This record gives sequence, C-alpha cells and structure tokens, in this order.
Amino acid sequence: MELLVDNVQKCYAKVTAIKNLSFKVNQGEIFALLGPNGAGKSSLVRMLTGFTSPDNGEISLTIDGQKYSSIPSNTLGYLPEDRGLYPEKTVIKNLLYFAQLNGVDKKTALEQAKYWLDRFDLLDRIDAQLKTLSKGNQQKVQLITAVIHQPKWVILDEPFSGLDPVNQEKVVTFLSELKAKGMTVILSAHQMAMVEKLADRMLLMNLGESVLYGTLAEIQQEVGSATQLTAHFAQDIPSEQLTQQFNKTQYSLLDNHVLSLNLSAQQSINEALSKITTLGSLTALHSKKMDLHQLYLNAIANHGALANE
Amino acid sequence: MNNINKKQQVWLVTSWEFMHFFKWKQEVISKLILVAFALIIMLWQYVKDDQLTVYKVATPANITQFQNSGQFEFFPNNDSFEQLKEQLAHGEENSWDAVLVESPAINSVKQMTIYSKDKQSWLTELKQTLSQQYTLQYASSLGLAEEQLAVLNQAAIFENKYLDDTIKAENSPAKSTAIAMLVILSVGIFTSFGQLFVSITGEKQQRVTEQLYACMSPQTWIDGKIFGQMLHSIKAMFTMIITAMLGYAFTAVVISNDIIDYSFIDWSLLPWLIPFAISGVYLCTAFMAAIAAAIDDPNHSAKTSIMLLPLLPMILAFITMDSPSGFALSFLSYFPLTAFAAMPVKMALIDLPLWQPLLSISITLILCFWVRTSAGNLFKMGMSMYGKEPSLKEMMTWMLRKN
Repeated sequence: MELLVDNVQKCYAKVTAIKNLSFKVNQGEIFALLGPNGAGKSSLVRMLTGFTSPDNGEISLTIDGQKYSSIPSNTLGYLPEDRGLYPEKTVIKNLLYFAQLNGVDKKTALEQAKYWLDRFDLLDRIDAQLKTLSKGNQQKVQLITAVIHQPKWVILDEPFSGLDPVNQEKVVTFLSELKAKGMTVILSAHQMAMVEKLADRMLLMNLGESVLYGTLAEIQQEVGSATQLTAHFAQDIPSEQLTQQFNKTQYSLLDNHVLSLNLSAQQSINEALSKITTLGSLTALHSKKMDLHQLYLNAIANHGALANE
Repeated sequence: MNNINKKQQVWLVTSWEFMHFFKWKQEVISKLILVAFALIIMLWQYVKDDQLTVYKVATPANITQFQNSGQFEFFPNNDSFEQLKEQLAHGEENSWDAVLVESPAINSVKQMTIYSKDKQSWLTELKQTLSQQYTLQYASSLGLAEEQLAVLNQAAIFENKYLDDTIKAENSPAKSTAIAMLVILSVGIFTSFGQLFVSITGEKQQRVTEQLYACMSPQTWIDGKIFGQMLHSIKAMFTMIITAMLGYAFTAVVISNDIIDYSFIDWSLLPWLIPFAISGVYLCTAFMAAIAAAIDDPNHSAKTSIMLLPLLPMILAFITMDSPSGFALSFLSYFPLTAFAAMPVKMALIDLPLWQPLLSISITLILCFWVRTSAGNLFKMGMSMYGKEPSLKEMMTWMLRKN
C-alpha cells in the first residue's frame, strides 16, 4: 500500500501551482514535504486529501485491491495549516465530535481523548473553551483531533506551528509513536531540525517543482556529500575576483573578511582551495557537512537561480 | 477503515448543528413563561367562574327601572346627587359601585351619566347592559315586540356569492388558516436564515470545513447542516403556534372574559399544510445553505442579499390570494420555487381535486432534491476555489454538475 503521485500538475487561473510532480510515499513511513511559502505544498496536500483533483497526471493509492485517487476519508487523519476546530466549544466536545464523525464510539473516544490530553499536559483543560487556550495548546488539541480515531494515513500541515521547543520535542515523540503504531505520516514543516530527526524520506519543493527527493542520505548523495567551507581572510575579499572564481549561488559573504562556500561532491576541495588562496591570505579555514537546513537553503537558492535564467 | 456510514455522519452533523444554536437556559425560561401564561388562563377561568363579582348601581327612583343582570344589581334611590356622590366616594363595603344620574334630554335623546370611583373594566359592560335595556324599554313604549326590534336593528344582510362554486365562503376558517401558515412559514425561514449564514460562513472562515471535509463528503456535511437548521425552523414554528394560541386564549379569557374558541382555524387542512410546510422549510434552508456555501467572506460578499429570496414565495402567495382561481395563484401553485407556499393558500380558498396538491408537492420535493445536491456541489466548489469567491456563472456550472 503506497501512495503514488505521478506527473501531477495543478493550475489555479493563470498560476501553475504544481508542475509535473512525481514521488511516492511508502506505507508506515514519515514523509516530509519541505519548501518555502508558495512552493506548492498546500496545493499538493489538498490533492492528497481529495479536496481538489489534479489537472494532469495521477494520484493513486490501492487499499484492499481497490484503487483510490486520493487518501480515502475513512483512513485519513488531517491537521490543517489553519486551525480547524470550533473555538467556542470545549476541548472535549471538539475531540468527541470529530472522533465520532470518524467512526469512534463515544466511550472509546472519551478514553482516547483523556489519554492524549494527559500526554500533552492538557487534561486539566478538558472542559475549557478552545479559544481560552494558548496558541500552542490549541495546536496540541488539533494534533489529537487528527489522530484520535487512529487513522492509517495522517497528513499534518505545519504540526510544529506555535509550539515552544519543549512541546516540539513532545510532538517529535508523538509522531514517532504514530509511526510505531503503523500509521503513515505525511507532514509539511519549516523546522528542519525536527524533520531531520523524524522523516524517513522527504520531498523538497520550490515553485511547484520537485527539487530534492529521497532519504537524507540520498539527498546528501545527490547534492554530492555537500561540504561547507568557511574561509577567514586577513583583508577584505576582492569582489571582482570572487565572482570570477565562483558561481554566485555557491557562496555567501558572512562579512567582508569571511566567505562561506558550499561544495557539491562533484567539486574537488583541492580545486576550491586553490581558488580560495587567490583571493588573499587565509587566517582560518573550517569545513563541515551540510545539515538539512543548509541543504534546503542551497537547493532553494540554486533552483530559484535556475528558474530565473 | 472506520466503520461509520453516511447516515450516521449526517445525524451527527444534524445534532451538532441543532445543539450549537440550542441554548438550554433560554429554552427553559421561554417555555416556563408559556406555561405560566397557560396557568394564568386556567386560574382566571376558575376564579371568574367561582367568584363572579356583582356590582351595585344606584339609579334615580323616578325612571323606569332596569332589570338586574348576573353582574349588576340596580337599586332605585331617592337620595340627592350630592348624597349619592358622598356615599360613592366614602362608602364602606356593600355601598355603591356606581351611581346613575339623569341629565336633561338633548334633541329628545335621553342623557344618563354613570359615576364611579375610578376607571374600571366592568363599566363598559354596564354601559352596554343599560343601553340594551333602555332600547328594549323604548321599543316597548312604542309598541314594538322584541323580534320587531331585532329586525329593525339588522334590516338586510349583504353577502358575496360566486359563479365559481369551488370558492369557499368568505371569512371561512380556511382563509385565516392559510394566512397563519404563511406567517408561520416566514418565521421558520427567518430563523434558519440568520443561523445558517453565521454557521456556514463561520465554519468556512475558521477553516473547520477543511477538518470536516477530511472525514466526510461535502454532501454529507451540507445534509447535516440543512437538517439541523430545519429542526430549528420547525421548533421556532411550533413555538410560534403555541405562543399564538396561548396569546389568543389569554386575550379571550383574561381580557375579554370570553370563552376559548379556535373555530377560526380549519383543522381539516392540517394534514396538507404540514407536509407543504416541512418541504417548504427544507427547500428554503437548502437554498440558503447553497448560497452560504459559496460565500467566502460574509463581510464583503454581494451574495448575502440573495439569501432573502426564500421569503418571496410567501409574499407572492399573500398578494395573489384575493383571486384564488386566477392565473397568478394557479401558476405559483405549480411553479417549483413557489408551490410550497401558493398551493396551501389555493387549497384553503377553493376546493381542489386531489391530484393538484399531489402534483404540487411532488414538484416541490423534486426541487428539494436538486437544491440539496446543488448545495453540496457549491460547497465542494467553495473548497476547491479556496479563498476566491465564485461568480454566479461558476455557481450555475457547479449546480448543474452531477454529484
């Protein structure tokens, strides 16, 4: 049971939100959708949930021999980007209503609600109106709503939004438990450190297109082990020489004396060093592997530059 | 996979929608007020029957005397006006309640003045009793029998008759029943108008609809919304009927000292009025749900006014009811959008063969189904357009789609 997205395209009026996108999500994995605002993540999520349909291409999911063009609602748990609960109602009324709509009987729903509220330190707010809770606590109630009926597929749009670092860690644990229970989780997030910890595989999108796709190791391999060099110079770096030696998308100046350079696997460190030494006398040089955050920034910058050309 | 079917989901949404606007405290208070009214009416009847007050009236001794009635006793008296006035003003219990004084006649018309301590409701009845008795006395002095006087009072009766013998008698209970139904329908529709608008546009703005869409079909959600609001309309209509009946009973018993008589309602029409009213409320609620589902921002939408259109059938039926066999009411009785309001009016005013109301309600039910499906489609459209409000053309396209 895997979710296949094959050459999908989606347009709104004159804007192409998704361009020929293909990927797959395996059963039981945590799959992350990454990308800047406007990358097309929400449009993609809306197609996966069945809110909208692709203009071209196909989304397919086969369950018990039956083929679906989106994740069927009776197997889906969903956390919308904007909060989707009744602010005037109490926490427990919201949870019970959505659990029952998803086929959970009232008694089980109440037990589940209490269990999860306790896990998120919200049991004492069970009868509080949702609107009286802080933004972070509302987000936690929303997360519980998405999984209280123990769906097979969970789509979480910005699950870390509004949460402090302590609660972000709690959500990481929570999502790992969902995976352990056999649920397939698709999440979109901007918190790269969290995604790096959690996601089995990921898709980085920009301007509606796939930029990077695979496990973190595969992505690093694709980018080319991705090394970051930081060079400190004794004097100002001559800008004319810098642009002659390196592509603009490859470097950034941390200040007039410090150069940050991103190298792919195809680029030789020796060659890069020989170019760096032509810029002036070095006082220090550091190198490290790029983390997901840096990979993300690099990939977006490179893709943006290519799109502009 | 979760085991819940569409019917169960519709019921959950219906009960959620109903309870969302159902305020226990308000309901209990309003119903207690109604019960209090009913108790007052019952008690008043009991007190009135058991403790009927008899008023004592002093009359001049030199005039033809009046006969005592159940409520009034007349006592001829030779005391001067000043003495009587003193007795009236400062008299103890069992003294005069009123004093009748004769004044000089004007143009041969007898002038009598009734003095009392203050303004009392029974004075009107005293005046009527005295006037009736005096008229009889005067007729008797002219040698007229009571029957002759009755004929004199109503020399001729003028009545309308029509060649079209299907038209029912003027002022028949059916007409007041039809008017009452139009008013009650309007109350039901006004109730769901406000609530439905707030409910649907509110949920869309708070993005609750996305969460709901993830666990049910758009049609299931809209069906639950329609049924929930329809139940509210029916509750409002029922409360209105009970209130009106109690109000009438209060006026009759407490204010007019009369008996309760609901013969102005044609109860035989009810088996027809109920299905027409229910289907009419369903149709209007579904229509308003369809429009609300297409509104993205209620503060800036031009479509809000369209939601008032369901009141038009009642207005048209009311305007055309003076000519029940005319083209206008006949057309409206079969026109899908107005049949639920026009046909009951037509039925109330003229006798119709059975197939006519059956055809009319069938047309209404077919339209109900189509509007309900369209409402589901429009909600789906609203979700797919996300943040952009559809034009009327786009709405029509989606309404005509197969679900």
